[in-house]
Amino acid sequence: MVFLAKTKSPDEWKAVTSAISTLVDEATFEATVEGLSFRGMDPSHVALIDISWPNSAFDGYECDSALKFGVRIDEFSKLMKRAEKKDAVEVSVEENSLLHIKILNGYKREYKMRLIESTGGSTPLPKLNFNSKIILTPASFDKILSDIEVVSEYISIESDEKKITFSGKSDSGEADIIIESGSEGLEELQVKETSKATYSLDYLSKITKAISASGGSLVLEYSTKMPLRLEFRVANVGRIHFYLAPRVQD
Amino acid sequence: MSSIDEIKARLKKNWYQFINENSKRFTKKIIDGSSPPSLFVGEYGYPHVRVGPMVPPYHGDTSILDKPELWLGKSMEEIVNYRLNLLKGTMIHKVNKISGRYIESLQDMALSKRAVETTMTLEKIPSLFLNDMILSNSNPSEIPVIFSAPVKEFKIFPSNSDEKIEKKYYDGDLLASDAVVELYDNSVDMTSITKVLSMGMLGRRKNRKLVPTKWSITAADDIVSTHLLKKIKNNTILDSYLVFTFNHLANYYSIIFIPDDVWNFEMIESWIDTNGKVHIGSDYESGKNIDHYPSIAGAYFAARLAVAEFLFKKRRMASVLILREIHPEYFVSLGVWQIREGIRESLKLKGKKFETFDSALKYGISKTSLSIREWIQNSSIIRNRKQKRISDYLN
Repeated sequence: MVFLAKTKSPDEWKAVTSAISTLVDEATFEATVEGLSFRGMDPSHVALIDISWPNSAFDGYECDSALKFGVRIDEFSKLMKRAEKKDAVEVSVEENSLLHIKILNGYKREYKMRLIESTGGSTPLPKLNFNSKIILTPASFDKILSDIEVVSEYISIESDEKKITFSGKSDSGEADIIIESGSEGLEELQVKETSKATYSLDYLSKITKAISASGGSLVLEYSTKMPLRLEFRVANVGRIHFYLAPRVQD
Repeated sequence: MSSIDEIKARLKKNWYQFINENSKRFTKKIIDGSSPPSLFVGEYGYPHVRVGPMVPPYHGDTSILDKPELWLGKSMEEIVNYRLNLLKGTMIHKVNKISGRYIESLQDMALSKRAVETTMTLEKIPSLFLNDMILSNSNPSEIPVIFSAPVKEFKIFPSNSDEKIEKKYYDGDLLASDAVVELYDNSVDMTSITKVLSMGMLGRRKNRKLVPTKWSITAADDIVSTHLLKKIKNNTILDSYLVFTFNHLANYYSIIFIPDDVWNFEMIESWIDTNGKVHIGSDYESGKNIDHYPSIAGAYFAARLAVAEFLFKKRRMASVLILREIHPEYFVSLGVWQIREGIRESLKLKGKKFETFDSALKYGISKTSLSIREWIQNSSIIRNRKQKRISDYLN
């Protein structure tokens, strides 16, 4: 056995694969003694996902030595979808080029999936200092994005100590959503310096929809005209970081 | 350039002359002639399609009639005339049924290096007419074929086969896409590749089937350009903006190369109709292959092939924005070869270098009649210049 990871339910894997699927079709995971990780940019290099899933978050974890394995995300998700919420899942890579997925509940199911060639070097992370930090539930963020999406393809986020303004505009009209500190759904607002930046709604909606079903909370950090970072805190998965480059007016 | 009416008048005149010269041959059910070679697989009724040879009513080296690679510099009348000289025989066939004497004769013909002597027996005498409807055909990928008739029997007198293509035909384990790429890498021209692809002669034996001509052209352009794009990914980035402009058969092209480490490609087409009304369509891909069928159809892949080829030969990496303006004088669609060969030709010229995107764009647009605003409104590449990349923050 080279690598084996157990979870009490398929939900963790579903959150991870659906997050990754918003950016790429193929993913290379890296397993080490410490845990499992993934890092990758979308083909346009506009967004990056960084997942670190420590061994302690699994129900069981074994990894003899570091290894990389590549999967086609849609195939992996398709198999994982066969498992129900209460099914324990065991994912392993043995000394062949197959990924084994065992679904354990009542009877035993085992899928074997062909691995694909894992892709090259690791992507570095952008070096960023964030001036604004917003914590809210993924569901409320998803609603804000949908509210803006009816009029615009982009969302501007402006925050000061007291409130956050989400806005969007297009030829057809404008949308403004103001959330004051203390509002329902807003868990925390920390602003070192008033910040304003604009981002693509397409990327934000896709990632938020992909993970919002998993509940938890969401930390949004950014600075004026700088990339934004979303941190999804999903139960039993370490952290999922999503970086998105801004749109700027030259 | 002559007016549309003048061109149409000349086309008709040529046509009547052609009919008069060959009138005796057209009044028979048996037509013999040298096929360029030329074949046709229709898409109507798929998977039961019309398939058949295209044959002129005369003999000799007729290869020019169906070899777009040789058409550059020819006038619209000449090119339409080539097509008008071909009589299309048709038989309805299921696409996965690629056996039997008829199909095998056509396949033999597709392998041929030069024109093939043929005899075609028709069910009925073809009707000959040329009307304005045909000449205002706006189907974007087909040159009109004027006359066609159902075939009863088709015979060929085989000539030498192209060995490079024959080898792929006999290889029943090779994927069709790999076969297309290998033929291209072996300098087989796109027209010959699409002929064998459409006759179900490439790919794994059990997967082989007839492919409508139009689809096979698009598929081959897509497969080859995808292959080239993989190869240019790690090339040195182009050192300045580079613009090529070209007019091919009333199609005005501006091809703008943008220094970039991520592949972005966009083609915007503006078609000006005879009433002066402008219609615009555009398609775009960023970092990977377009994930839907482009609204501008096969034109997209034909253009992408020409620019990918250029970057591959120059060993450079860049993004590309193509503006295509179609003027009313281009009143018969001549097929997507016109785009592929037109852009290939324009890229042989010396491009103009620019230091900034704005100056490159301004120059490219100055060769078109649309305003900068109209092009910008329809361009994802231009809009997305406001979008930063994660890689901008890595240092």
